[in-house]
Amino acid sequence: MSLIKDLFTNWSVWRRPGYFESFDYSWGMVIDLDRCTGCEACVVACTAENNLPIVGEKRFSENREIKWIRIERYWSGEYPNAKLSFIPMLCQHCDQAPCEIACPVSATYHNQDGLNTQIYNRCIGTRTCAVYCPYEVRFFNWFSYTWDAPLEQQLNPDVTVREKGVMEKCTFCIQRIREAKDHAKDDGRRRLREGDIQPACAQACPTKAIVFGDRNDPDSQVAQMASDARGYTVLKELNTSPSIVYLRRVDQEHV
Amino acid sequence: MARKKNPGSKLSRREFLALVGTGTSVMAGAGFLTAKFSRRPVEQLIPYVVPPEDYIPGVAAYYNTVCNLCPAGCGITVRIREGRAKKIEGNPAHPVSQGGTCALGQSGLQVLYNPDRLQTPVTRRGERGTGDFHTVGWNSALTTVASHLDKLRLANRGAGVGLLTGDIRGHLDDLLIQFLGLMGSGRYLQYAFTNPTNLYSANAASFDTAQLPYYDIANSDFLLSFGADFLGMWVSPVSYSRAYGDFRQGRREGEDKGPRRQRGQLVQIEPRMSLTGANADIWVPAVPGTEGALALGIAHIIAGGAGRFAAALAEFDPPRVAEISGVEASTIERLARSFGDAKAPLAIGGGGAAAGTNGVPNLVAINLLNHLAGNIGREGGVVFNPKPAFGRTGMQRHGSYLDLLAFVEEIADVDDGVLIIAGTNPLYDFPGDERLVRALQRIPLVVGLSSFMDETMQYADIVLPVNSYLEGWGDDAPEPGVGMRVASISQPVVAPLYDTMDVGDVFIRLAQRMDRDMQRAMPWPDFHAYLRNAWRRMYDKRRDKLDYVDFDAFWTAVLEAGVWGETRRASQRNEFHAQVDYEPPVHAGNDVDYPWYFQPFVSQGFFDGRGANLPWQQELPDPMTSIVYGSWIELNPRTANELGVDEGDILEVSSPAGSLRAPVWITQGIRPDTVAMPIGQGHTSFGRYATGRGANPLSILSAQVDSRTGAFAWGATRVNLTPTGERIRFVKTGGWSRTLDRQILGPRSGETQEGGDHG
Ligand code: SF4
Repeated sequence: MSLIKDLFTNWSVWRRPGYFESFDYSWGMVIDLDRCTGCEACVVACTAENNLPIVGEKRFSENREIKWIRIERYWSGEYPNAKLSFIPMLCQHCDQAPCEIACPVSATYHNQDGLNTQIYNRCIGTRTCAVYCPYEVRFFNWFSYTWDAPLEQQLNPDVTVREKGVMEKCTFCIQRIREAKDHAKDDGRRRLREGDIQPACAQACPTKAIVFGDRNDPDSQVAQMASDARGYTVLKELNTSPSIVYLRRVDQEHV
Repeated sequence: MARKKNPGSKLSRREFLALVGTGTSVMAGAGFLTAKFSRRPVEQLIPYVVPPEDYIPGVAAYYNTVCNLCPAGCGITVRIREGRAKKIEGNPAHPVSQGGTCALGQSGLQVLYNPDRLQTPVTRRGERGTGDFHTVGWNSALTTVASHLDKLRLANRGAGVGLLTGDIRGHLDDLLIQFLGLMGSGRYLQYAFTNPTNLYSANAASFDTAQLPYYDIANSDFLLSFGADFLGMWVSPVSYSRAYGDFRQGRREGEDKGPRRQRGQLVQIEPRMSLTGANADIWVPAVPGTEGALALGIAHIIAGGAGRFAAALAEFDPPRVAEISGVEASTIERLARSFGDAKAPLAIGGGGAAAGTNGVPNLVAINLLNHLAGNIGREGGVVFNPKPAFGRTGMQRHGSYLDLLAFVEEIADVDDGVLIIAGTNPLYDFPGDERLVRALQRIPLVVGLSSFMDETMQYADIVLPVNSYLEGWGDDAPEPGVGMRVASISQPVVAPLYDTMDVGDVFIRLAQRMDRDMQRAMPWPDFHAYLRNAWRRMYDKRRDKLDYVDFDAFWTAVLEAGVWGETRRASQRNEFHAQVDYEPPVHAGNDVDYPWYFQPFVSQGFFDGRGANLPWQQELPDPMTSIVYGSWIELNPRTANELGVDEGDILEVSSPAGSLRAPVWITQGIRPDTVAMPIGQGHTSFGRYATGRGANPLSILSAQVDSRTGAFAWGATRVNLTPTGERIRFVKTGGWSRTLDRQILGPRSGETQEGGDHG
């Protein structure tokens, strides 16, 4: 009994908050819901960049679609005072990620950039991580998908096409991070600079609602925006320490 | 011209403005090019001639070009690997897109790599409309058309040749005019039902201009939008979305320091909540078509019985306007007060407000609000663009619905008429009106230029496959642009996949197969040469002001940057020339047999229907409903109750012009007397992803028009609804649409977030 009690009191010690601040980068995102309009440009941009499959109407109706980023919509109120709010939902790259402790083969783990990564060829498809994820942003490949020729010519050669039996999710466009690091090295720079990388969603966003950067750099735009008074993390009560800070949409009903 | 770094490494808004000049006028006529992209040494450029040249395994090249999936004309950058197009991004240096794109723009790659593309010329074998075609070679197809045209021309009967296109701007437009001129024909019409014909007309009447206005949303602080879904697919979605972000957060992206302006407030007036309505602070569901009365009601309060318009506005007191529009008098007063008190109020009209039989008077009334606020030519107001760098404005190019009908019927009436159709699909986006099909059937020779065998191409005798916009040359002066003169060149980012050619090349090749005079008048080897020539003339005119060694350097620099422009703005005076009055809308169908207003709306994924053959767009959840792969009809819960139907129940929707079937979607965002349906599905011939899916609401519209412009009034039909007893399950993304008090949308204003013991 006392052991369990100890476990609970010492929980945060084991979880070691702030652990990832000691690494080179801690990639994070700030999404300003006052700018986001729910236009879904990010959704297609992600699909294009990351070789997400076209699952077809039948699979879609079985809820087997794969969308690393999606727009969630929440209604409140009733006609004529109805309100609709949008929130882009994607992997939160939690520092205390529930999915990571769930995987029996450590196919999902935290890398030294603070990313929650998925190793496709280690994944054995238990789908435990998807059950543990409170944000429901992990997607299982129930099938190996194909593309009607010549659509496959568009596939991004920097990103693996996943096969049946593996779990996948948002990577913060890790291939772009790799490429930017490579370019930085070519230029003789040890560190990446602010603005060197944008994930596909942030780059496409027409309102510039999504900002990406290094949370370890106090001068970065993400670090500065994260301390905005409107900032919050989704489902904070679950203690997952997400890497994505949302800025609340401003309620301004009284014109 | 290729670059090696992802342009996502961004050009900040501030840098961009430093380049183009921030205010009203910097150096008159000075060209702007982003230094960042043009300063690279010439030896690093890889001119695009044949694909192997940018084929460096493992290394991406980036080409700037122009998106043409809607008329906004966003500059885009395409990432190429091993000669294949991989990703479309906004060109950060282009003032319209500023580095962003819309969802449809992202899917351009699936236009290029679409499995249903037309790969060779075909000629009709069976009856028109049956889709029975067989393959022919380019040579025989072109010769057939050319000899036909030649015969007509030599017999002085070339006037019976007509050209019907979508939105074609830039020098291609000039080339087509020239070709038809040589034929002795002036029959050239551009038609799309989304063309803002009424907006052009209202602005011509109000402000005496042939330009589309640019609404400076970013610098406004109170935006009153009458039906304009500017965050959806209205006029220039990416540019306005970008401006909206700045409007909301008071400080421009990239400007971390400096004073924060007040957050702009948005009021959206429309019977069915659009994406813009969902983002508004207040959504005001007015009776469809009565937006003009509301605008006059607000003007009545602002003017306070004084001024030039006092008499015209006298009868639009709040109680009367409330009765017309269904909006409470207190709301009207509140909106008027806010509009009057704001530092930079702005009124925009579009969408349903412009799509009634009274579209023009509605828009004129909305224009009056801008005039009263002193908005014309002002920061945060309405800016009219200077004359485009080249080409005609939409007002000169576009024809209305009635123009189109007359146009096709006239060609059908002459002996030996020829109709050439390029880049438009009127048989899809036309109402349930048999006249067009009947006229088409009577024309002896219909030639189509298209990438897909769409509904209209089914009626052609010869269809010539053209390049997708990512494979061809072109140029563009975007309309409305951003209040400055902007021009861009589109270049092939990949070699054509199939045996296709540019629209311009088709006409040049035709001329080459005709008699000597034609050949001599159109001497260019190809469209690329024609385009370079045209730009050379522009360069020669401005040579002294432009800082390039020669034309080649200029051309290369523009290709590389993807955009060229001048920072001069047109000056405008705040003068108002029109008479204002309210004209009640006329709806087809009486309110007993057809109790509901029917409001089709342009959908986010498919725009006017052209996006329906792109699988990414089919799998893109609709922003308001999250539905994919289908059509639906939106009902207020009260309407659903009255009919005794629930989500997914299939209704028979009938209008005086026809009927269709669609499943019910119940939403709080629509008036009980109105039902709405998305435009885009219901194709009968548009490739494997679109054909036979959902229903096309345009097909049951009555042929209503605005009486002044003849523009198709697609918001002016009433319908009846009958349950069929059948039902479907919607294919959509899952999830609850209520937060159930979970911390998803964040704490309310003034509260801080609870929960969590660290983080
Ligand atoms: S707004 Fe129009 S031009 Fe711009 S990216 Fe979207 S479809 Fe293309």
